[in-house]
Amino acid sequence: MRITKSRVARAITAAVAVGLIATGCSSERDADNESGGDKDTFVFAGAGDPGSLDPALASDGETFRVTRQAFEALLEHESGGTKLVGGLAETWSSNDQGTVWTFNLRKNVKFHDGEAFNAAAVCANYDHWFNWTGTYQSSAVSYYWQTIMGGFAKNEDAEAPEANYKSCTAKDENTAVIEVKNPSANLPGGFSLNALAIHSPKAIEAYKKQDASAKGDAITYPKYSQEAGTVAGTGPYKITKWNKGNKEVTLERFDDYWGEKAKIKNLVFRTIDTEEGRRQALQAGDIDGYDLVAPADVQTLEKEGYVVPTRGVFNLFYVGMSQSANPALKKKEVRQAIAQAIDKENLVKTQLPEGGKVADQFMPDTIAGYSKNVTKYPFDTAAAKGLLKKAGEEKLKIEFCYPTEVTRPYMPAPQDLFELMKADLEKAGITVTPKAMKWAPDYLDATEAGSCALHMLGWTGDFNDGYNFIGTWFAGFDKQWGFKDQKVFDAVNAGSKMGKAEERTAAYEKANEVIMDYLPGVPISASPPAIAFAKNVNPPNVSPLTQEVFAEASFK
Amino acid sequence: MSVATKTDKIQRLAELAATKETSTGDSLWREAFRRLKRSKMAIVGAVVIALFILLAIVGPYIAPYSPTAQTWRGEVFPNRGEFVGMRPENWFGLDHLGRDLFSRFLVGARQTLLVGVVATLIGLTIGFLVGGLAGAFATLGGERGKRVDSVIMRFIDIMLAMPSLLLAVSIAAVMGQSLTTVMIAVGVVQIPVFARLLRGSMLVQGSSDYVLAAQSLGVRKRRIVVSQIIPNSLSPVIVQATLSLATAIIEAAALSYLGLGNPDPAIPEWGVMLTQAQRFFDSGAPMMAVYPAVGIIITALGFTLLGEAMREALDPKLRG
Repeated sequence: MRITKSRVARAITAAVAVGLIATGCSSERDADNESGGDKDTFVFAGAGDPGSLDPALASDGETFRVTRQAFEALLEHESGGTKLVGGLAETWSSNDQGTVWTFNLRKNVKFHDGEAFNAAAVCANYDHWFNWTGTYQSSAVSYYWQTIMGGFAKNEDAEAPEANYKSCTAKDENTAVIEVKNPSANLPGGFSLNALAIHSPKAIEAYKKQDASAKGDAITYPKYSQEAGTVAGTGPYKITKWNKGNKEVTLERFDDYWGEKAKIKNLVFRTIDTEEGRRQALQAGDIDGYDLVAPADVQTLEKEGYVVPTRGVFNLFYVGMSQSANPALKKKEVRQAIAQAIDKENLVKTQLPEGGKVADQFMPDTIAGYSKNVTKYPFDTAAAKGLLKKAGEEKLKIEFCYPTEVTRPYMPAPQDLFELMKADLEKAGITVTPKAMKWAPDYLDATEAGSCALHMLGWTGDFNDGYNFIGTWFAGFDKQWGFKDQKVFDAVNAGSKMGKAEERTAAYEKANEVIMDYLPGVPISASPPAIAFAKNVNPPNVSPLTQEVFAEASFK
Repeated sequence: MSVATKTDKIQRLAELAATKETSTGDSLWREAFRRLKRSKMAIVGAVVIALFILLAIVGPYIAPYSPTAQTWRGEVFPNRGEFVGMRPENWFGLDHLGRDLFSRFLVGARQTLLVGVVATLIGLTIGFLVGGLAGAFATLGGERGKRVDSVIMRFIDIMLAMPSLLLAVSIAAVMGQSLTTVMIAVGVVQIPVFARLLRGSMLVQGSSDYVLAAQSLGVRKRRIVVSQIIPNSLSPVIVQATLSLATAIIEAAALSYLGLGNPDPAIPEWGVMLTQAQRFFDSGAPMMAVYPAVGIIITALGFTLLGEAMREALDPKLRG
């Protein structure tokens, strides 16, 4: 019998082990190395690897989080806000049309490699971007240049936009003048993008000797952007090392910084791709802060004494409709039925982080141009049913795509949001075919190509101008939406041609009203993404644009 | 020795060689079954499995609510870590979307059993055929047989060399998204395990005295394999099969997590429920993970107990 007993025991152990592995049981390590005092390294965890150390080649937040600490643009946003303030330019002005921009540059600014900052350096940067050739002209590499300044000196791709950039002149040592052909809503906001941050002229010369290459969709970035050493900006930190194996970028305080110097000597950005992983690393004291906190963890962390500041609301989460993927969506009644079938209030109340708001247009209410007079489509299942009947689509079957393993600042738990909306749509009599996809590249490619009839996506603003939201989607025909409606396109573009930001506001309000009359998709919510820090950290001012400057952080 | 006695002997041998195959095989299994009935471990295991199967059959009929209806969705706030635990109308509380956990647990049993059993059966059947074939060639096929065995086993090695989850993901990615895909993917991953196990066990049996005796008696090779080597080599395979059931359930959950399983996450399955609950383990609702986990643990335990008991019952060394 002894043998049997031990076998039973073994069997039980095996079964319990299986169960434990399954529950992902995680023991928390002691947080004893958390108390700092004379700590001189700040470790912050992001959700993804940066793509490049040259922000000009990037278009994603994880890259900018790192490069923002080392590179500064002509204009910046005020710390913790969305107002434009001087960056490397102390003041700036434009002519009435908004085509000639004059920047009075900051004096006594040095690059990380010792070069002096002046008007010639500014122009060296803009001319370098304007004269890009080959793979650099791919929209995957130079997305932001193309968005803000159009195409290049010599467009090699027929699909590249027409160049809007005209010239950059160094009027004197400290005055740079940038001219564009047509006024644009992307200016002056575009001058604040980290993608258009100013690099040392010496570094620019080194960049020019290297080329990017592309094989199909896969882009090989130039060597200088993949290892520290060449890139040099003016920021409070300089990049010293990128250890791709450890998924870590290391930065060191730049002692010749023109402004207030960084309080902590070393700054490390580490990639931890899961929410649980990041939270556990913080609780274990391995890191000093992390971004994209799951809403459900916010309270837990606060209760445990962690610092969880709230960001302002500056994003938009929406349900997109691709009319080419399902012809029924061409009928406005159907689009309206879908909009009225979804209980947005409940989504915001139960799923989104605290401070989230129901959206009624494709712009959060924190942006100039938000209209109070848009057509509203309140939650009403009966009305939705009626509309479907009117459209003759009572047996509507529709495919709804959702991403599986991702959280975005505007979309904390995609699968749960999907399940709730699916139940709503089914209540209105719509048969929903679920389609789960990996976020990158499957989901992004499918939504971009317009092959998902219904899908969930969102956008975090780059700078405080309405065109940065509505212009991103509705400036012209876009495969993602698959509709051509000149009224919508005209309304959206009306604002973009005005040089003065104040004039645009009314145009954007009108555009929002036209868009919501047409109802290309369903705006769902705007919500503040959470960020968390260790107990002994004085965090930097958190930014609604997710543009935190870590030089402001210090240890208690 | 007269010619008559010689022919007599040959005839006797021929008779022996021609006896119905079941007569020997039967007694081995019958004896094993008799000993199984005496083992407490086996009975506990069998009862657990029987309960699980019963649950899988009647679960959907006795569930108090619809497992997919978000009836109480205004009452749970996953974004604030506020959940609803046990209460009279919801015995297990609510999940993160306001659905009745008890109903989901009951209905989920069927899907779980289906995935586990079908996946394991796929692995077991194909693994058994491939491994048995290789084993037979290796033990009794001579030089040429060894070569055949070698070729088969290299293929199996290739499959074994790939990380199991990666292999399953590739299969699922190629076949598209459905529950059937998951069963096939998880099943295929187990083929090499079963094949290797059976072949290895057959090789051991192949060099034993009784096989040698049968060979020298002139019993046909196919019969030696079918009625002697295989029944004696089966026990580790059976034990593995019962253990695999538990892993199959968990691997199926992993595939669902990667977006390759059932595209509709509303359909309850214990593995899927566990993955969903994992996010809320530290923030308000640890019990959400406990129910499906305990379900999986008890079921896995049942299969493991029965497997262990069967292994003992089938072990020729313990036969007495």
